[in-house]
Amino acid sequence: MKAMRWVIVFLPVATACVITIAVREHAAHAAEPQGAVAPAVSAPGNARAAVARPNDNALSIPDTTVAINSATPMSQRVVHYSIDARYNAESHTVDASEVLTYRNLTGQALDHFPFHLYQNAFQPNSTFVREAKVAGNRDTSYDHWQAKEYGGEEIKSIEVVGQGDLTSQLKYISPDDGNKDDRTVIELPVPKPIAPGELVQFKLVFQTKFPETQARSGWKKDFVLGGQWFPKVGVFWHGSWNCHQYHAMTEFFADFGVFDVKLTVPANEIVGASGLRLAEATNPDNTKTYTYRGDDIHDFAWTASPRYKVKEDGIFQGKMGPVHMRILMQPAHWSQVERHEAILKASLEQFESRYGPYPYKTITLVDPEGAAAGGMEYPTFITGGTSWFMPKGLHEPEIVIEHEFGHQYWYGMVATNEFEDAWMDEGINSYTEVKVLDTLLGKNTSVLDIAGGTMGERELQRDGYASEADVDPISQKAYDFYDFGSYGGITYGKTASVLLTLEGIIGEDTMARAMHVYFMKYRFTHPTQEDFLKTIEEVSGRDLHWYFNQAIYGSPVMDYKVLNIESFPVNWYEDKKGGFGKDDKDRLYRSYVWLQRKGDFVMPVEVEIKFDNGEKVREHWDGVSRWTKFAYEKKAKVESAEIDPDHTVQIDRNDFNNSYLVKRNAKPARKLETYWMFVTQWMAQALAWWGV
Amino acid sequence: MAEQGLLSGGWDRMARNKRYIVWFYVLNVMLAWLGAGAFQNQAHAMLDHSAYAEKLVHGFDFSVLGEMVAKPEFGPTAASAGPAVHFMAVFFLATALFLPGVLQGYASTYRLPREEFFRACGRNLWRLIRLLIVAAIVIGIVAGVLFAIQGAIGKKAAESTNELLAPELQFAGLAVIFLVMTGLRIWFDLAEADVVLSDQRAVRRSVAKGFRHMSRNLPRLLTAYVVATLLAAIILLGGLWVWVKFVPASRVWAAVGVSQLTLLLLLIPRFWQRGVAVSYYLRAMVEPIPVQSFSPEPVPAPVEPVVNELPILPVLPNIPPPEPQGA
Repeated sequence: MKAMRWVIVFLPVATACVITIAVREHAAHAAEPQGAVAPAVSAPGNARAAVARPNDNALSIPDTTVAINSATPMSQRVVHYSIDARYNAESHTVDASEVLTYRNLTGQALDHFPFHLYQNAFQPNSTFVREAKVAGNRDTSYDHWQAKEYGGEEIKSIEVVGQGDLTSQLKYISPDDGNKDDRTVIELPVPKPIAPGELVQFKLVFQTKFPETQARSGWKKDFVLGGQWFPKVGVFWHGSWNCHQYHAMTEFFADFGVFDVKLTVPANEIVGASGLRLAEATNPDNTKTYTYRGDDIHDFAWTASPRYKVKEDGIFQGKMGPVHMRILMQPAHWSQVERHEAILKASLEQFESRYGPYPYKTITLVDPEGAAAGGMEYPTFITGGTSWFMPKGLHEPEIVIEHEFGHQYWYGMVATNEFEDAWMDEGINSYTEVKVLDTLLGKNTSVLDIAGGTMGERELQRDGYASEADVDPISQKAYDFYDFGSYGGITYGKTASVLLTLEGIIGEDTMARAMHVYFMKYRFTHPTQEDFLKTIEEVSGRDLHWYFNQAIYGSPVMDYKVLNIESFPVNWYEDKKGGFGKDDKDRLYRSYVWLQRKGDFVMPVEVEIKFDNGEKVREHWDGVSRWTKFAYEKKAKVESAEIDPDHTVQIDRNDFNNSYLVKRNAKPARKLETYWMFVTQWMAQALAWWGV
Repeated sequence: MAEQGLLSGGWDRMARNKRYIVWFYVLNVMLAWLGAGAFQNQAHAMLDHSAYAEKLVHGFDFSVLGEMVAKPEFGPTAASAGPAVHFMAVFFLATALFLPGVLQGYASTYRLPREEFFRACGRNLWRLIRLLIVAAIVIGIVAGVLFAIQGAIGKKAAESTNELLAPELQFAGLAVIFLVMTGLRIWFDLAEADVVLSDQRAVRRSVAKGFRHMSRNLPRLLTAYVVATLLAAIILLGGLWVWVKFVPASRVWAAVGVSQLTLLLLLIPRFWQRGVAVSYYLRAMVEPIPVQSFSPEPVPAPVEPVVNELPILPVLPNIPPPEPQGA
């Protein structure tokens, strides 16, 4: 009886629990847009819970963890790409078959799927080339079209498992600008919509033709960098497909998943790629097939060249396990391999200690052929940038490698939308680059330290911003920037400067904590800019809207200036002769210091006023009005005034007018004169030497 | 050895006339100073009252320099570079103007009076200008062709999978261009010496003569010129090394001293080359002085003893007797 009572009580409760869990599970899938924030601090456990089990049609996405130092998957795996590709080094083409398994976590039925065909950007009428011709480009200005600049990506056939061959249904779309000649996005309607929670499998056959290296992809001599080389499905984000055309100033956006790639190349090629190499086989036709696996990544890149010299014995002992560092160098740069490894290792250490663990088992660093392939990031795979002549005091390789490694965090794991929020990967990465390089190479010497000449990364970023300060806001979509200069100056330089200035507002330690929380919370997701800004406000406990509205969403320019300084004796009218220049320690002076807000950016500022008796006074100005005045009566005259004496503000466009010295100091200008005279005299002598 | 003779002969002439180097240096400084006026004004206006400029004093922060140049307040770069370029051109023309006086002084066995110096300058000005035009055409064409070839080779080499091939060929190409241009320089230096010291109005003859001698004695002359150029490189690199190594960043006047001393010393090699050219001219290019045969009228038997007169030879102004070979 007693047992019966327990059954009567337990059964309804158990039934209620089961129903509740089922409803919640369904509601979670329905409400949560793909890529929405995963409660990621405990991501491994949750990610495992999110891993799909085989569904009705027996499709699945593997929950393998062979390529990561984690027992469980770390991301919501939306895609599984299985690609079998063969590279022809003569024609620079890839012929491949691709099996894409896609899990519909959008909460709604999907009746069409857009795919990126990035290599079609390298065609004369593409949006990429049209924009590059007018807005500028990193690698080429496209003054004259050359056949070698042509790239292409063609889907030969596509089948949806269970729905048949749908190749004829494919149609190119141009959602951003309506350019009918742009073929970088193709859309496939599916007759039977894919229900929420279901998996769908696409089987494609495609061919990609690489151009000579452009936009960090393509071939150069006997080298090839296979980036953005396969048809890649768009991201369902905020209720709709997010699949932008490839623009001159944009990068990429994709879902996390698993990549199984078999790459067949001529046998003499040395290959590097994203993920972990699982196998290597020699084929009878003088080719080799390499098999790679990538877990919890959203893209897959590879490189091949018969001339690489490889260093692969480096291991970084990370927080989650060992990380194998594989470095592929150009032969002419082999003497710099230790330098490359040292900065890669130091970057790993810095990022782990500052932001969070690096979970992957490998990192491949490629020293590419030519500048057009240099300085690029793909998951667990980066390209550096150096040349045969690289003095130790010139830190270009260090800067590039650190920056690209930083993208493993800000892009690789915190996978923001690079089409729309470029500042969240490039800008935040530039900020962390300043922080890391300050530590590793010195605040004022992280770019250059040769023969007394110095340059620091933070000032370089600031200079980049200052030259483009009033053109575009940081939050601009990447493809809407005025030109390439503005994109670079604002996305990289201004973001870094804005975040460095933010340190001065909320404190350096708080900012460091916020960055750590942001990474841990949003890794393996697609956060928005609001997610980032909200995290900073939450961690700092401060309302920072006044700052973000101006610095992130707006384009006002900050320029505070010491407008004027005046000191004169209070009893000036009694001074018959002798003038006011006579020093008299008992004389009382009335002094004024005027500050001006020249720009539209409003921000409270500190000012330090020094008197000629050694006394210093700090004043605070809310910076709202156009100008303000501070008045003093002291037995000393004002010697100087300096706005932002602690140098925490990085976004003031003009640092020269932030201070005013009453007594002229001609030394800096004289020093420049000396250099200028030397150069012009020497050039005049050289001209006369050879000319007369 | 013959080369040493040429070098030491040239050095002696240069050393005996050090004042020319000083004058040219003064001219160089004065013109550069005038040319730097705009830059000075712009720099002082930006920097003199700014604490930020201190970053240029203790060390040299390139980002501060970059920011200064980029500021609208500094003005356009052309505004500061333009005058400097103009005064460089003035120095070039002044060198052409005063060169005949220098050559005359080098050829002279005595200290050339000021009047003679300037007379030589004035007398040869137009000839020198014509010679410069010829030299500019020849040097321009040859340099253009050589640089074009070097560019084409460099472009081709850049296609090689050996990355070092292109820079190696570029350096080799530059060395060849340097030697060829030095050869051309020798040619026109000899022509200039001939124009001035032979009082040659027909510049084309001097050009032809210079070319003949340059081509016949190229190894000797080239060696001498290259040695002088190496000295210039040593002076320049040594001066920069001393500047960087021993002059504290904040010691502006010490930097002025080292840099200006370097520039003064840098004039020596070129004047040495001029001395070499004059030495060579006097040794190998002076045409024999025509000696007219003098046949006196038969003189009747002397009634009274008479004093024999010396024969009167035509006198070329300021040309010393040829130096013995190997001097």
